[in-house]
Amino acid sequence: MKLFIRRILSISMKEYKHILRDPFTFAAAVGIPVLFVIFFGFIIDLDYKGVSVNVRDNDQTESSRRFLQMTASSGYFNLIPVHQQSQADKKLNENDMSSIMIIPKGFGKEIKNGSGKAQIQLIIDGTDNAKAGIINSYISLIADKASNVFSKNEDNSQKPYLNVKTRFLFNPELNSRWFIVPGLGTVIIGLIAILLTALTVAKEWENGSMELLLATPVSAAEIVLGKLIPYFVLAFFDILLIFIFSLLVFDIPFRGSFSFYILSCIIYIAGALALGLLVSVITRKQEQATQIAFAVGVLPSFILSGFIFPIENMPLFFRILTAVFPQRWFMQISRSVFLSDSGFTELMIPFFFITCFAALMIFVSIKKFKKDLEVTQ
Amino acid sequence: MNNIIDVKNLSVLFGGFKAVDNISFDVKKGEIFGFLGANGAGKTTTIRVLCGIIKPSGGKVFLEGEDVSKSTGILKNTIGYMSQKSTLYKDLTIAENITFSGRLYNMPDDRIEKRQKELFDFIGLKENLSKITGSLPLGIKQMVALCATVLHDPEIIFLDEPTAGVDPETREKFWELIKNMAKLGKTIFVTTHYMDEASYCQRIVLMDKGHIVDFDSPDNLKNSYFPQKPVEIKFKDKTLQNEITAEFEKQNAGYGYVFGDTLRFFINDKAVFEKVIFKYSNNIKQKETEPTLEDVFLKALKTENRK
Repeated sequence: MKLFIRRILSISMKEYKHILRDPFTFAAAVGIPVLFVIFFGFIIDLDYKGVSVNVRDNDQTESSRRFLQMTASSGYFNLIPVHQQSQADKKLNENDMSSIMIIPKGFGKEIKNGSGKAQIQLIIDGTDNAKAGIINSYISLIADKASNVFSKNEDNSQKPYLNVKTRFLFNPELNSRWFIVPGLGTVIIGLIAILLTALTVAKEWENGSMELLLATPVSAAEIVLGKLIPYFVLAFFDILLIFIFSLLVFDIPFRGSFSFYILSCIIYIAGALALGLLVSVITRKQEQATQIAFAVGVLPSFILSGFIFPIENMPLFFRILTAVFPQRWFMQISRSVFLSDSGFTELMIPFFFITCFAALMIFVSIKKFKKDLEVTQ
Repeated sequence: MNNIIDVKNLSVLFGGFKAVDNISFDVKKGEIFGFLGANGAGKTTTIRVLCGIIKPSGGKVFLEGEDVSKSTGILKNTIGYMSQKSTLYKDLTIAENITFSGRLYNMPDDRIEKRQKELFDFIGLKENLSKITGSLPLGIKQMVALCATVLHDPEIIFLDEPTAGVDPETREKFWELIKNMAKLGKTIFVTTHYMDEASYCQRIVLMDKGHIVDFDSPDNLKNSYFPQKPVEIKFKDKTLQNEITAEFEKQNAGYGYVFGDTLRFFINDKAVFEKVIFKYSNNIKQKETEPTLEDVFLKALKTENRK
């Protein structure tokens, strides 16, 4: 069947006007991406800098002072010296602080001995567990570094601790923004491509205007293409917006292959649009379409993509579940092309998954859409 | 073949429910063809099949001699469909709606504009084209929708309850337009539940629960259902009304409905009827009257249900 470009474009133009004139759609399409970039880029800062940590040095040796100096110069902590143990006990009892680091007596001696038994006691208020975790891991990291320094200085070949450096290889400063912002595209496409597409096609059914389109010579393929093009453009625009923000505002490096990234974006967006279409064809009602789109599109983008919650920390079942959603794979591609020098060869597996997903979704949604038109409601 | 529409043994099933049950009819070119029936009689479903929106479960539909189910979409250029639900996009302006319709039929923009002006002049519509359609009164909206429907100059125009909820004055204007289009040789297929509108049609189909109850011209239907013209009876003495009605019923002279102070009576047995009338002749005034399509429809349903 011949496709008429003009018909497709006139449907797209109509859709574009719907978007412009519907405050909700317009806000979702343009406002939310900007809001997200600001929200996740500026406001939510998972880096804790200048966190106040009380410090009681019971050792008072050169080693302990050096360790404290290293902690202070990391820039993450604002150390508040506590001069007497009794004062520390009082503060602890009265809940007057969020954390205290205690260097016990004999710390310097153990360091000198190189026995690996040197200890630091860290007491952290666990109510803010995100913060607690970060303080803990930062101080552990500093302790690791310190132990390296100490062991070299004391000319001791034994390296007492693990080197955790590898985990933050591409983000050596532990800058969470570098991690969050490149992943934003995944989330925003989940929202725009899946949710808005589901809404727009369901709306056409609900209003009965789909019927009129079907009574015209316009083919199913033309309707689908015409309706999806504006959302494709929007989603792509959002990706570019995030790209520009990342580079210019947040100084995030882009180290991987740009052309591979764009290709992945196109495939991922196409798959997401097709999923949105499928949702709307199945539900035909805006309300249900919204709910299902949230369940299969928006929530997995946040929760199962590794955007905020690391996939490797999930229970096995959820780790397997994430593989079904393309969000997880696109997240991996986005982060890798930004932060590491990756391209097709390194990201073959995630690329394979998003391609399969897109192909499957396009096939199923168009088939279901066509079949739906043939068979009565 | 001068049948522009030919429907043969059409059935549409929704699950186990027979929305349309084995109906056959034909429509001639240039005819105003009416489809009458209550809600749920299967009118809209039939139109949707004719427009190629849904596929029939059984039977065949031919438009201009071509099988609709085998058509590749070219046939759709020859039809225009105005559905019961919003035909226009509420958030677009009049001009945008019209242009959109035209482009779907691949009409060049200058031709769209020319046709739109012609049609608006023809109807006498003077609305500002940049008005958002959602803000228009229903009557105007339906007029604009009709223009959008016939913009590409279709041969067959399907109108599904085009005047539902529209004020009487606009309805009249609307029908003026429909008659004019028929004069130009267009075929109009219209559903309605306003019986007075049905009399504008050359032929009508009476539908009930997916069946065709009857199918003819309004006059033929009236004559065949009411060989005896109905009688309007006025009573001098109101107390007599019940007595006479009971008498008619007892003698099986026919049946009637009371409207205010008038009994509208349909005669079964003329001899019995006259006997009763004669008995009360001093107290009543009777006058022969024309049957309406409403009368026909009610009687047809009664006969159908008795079968």
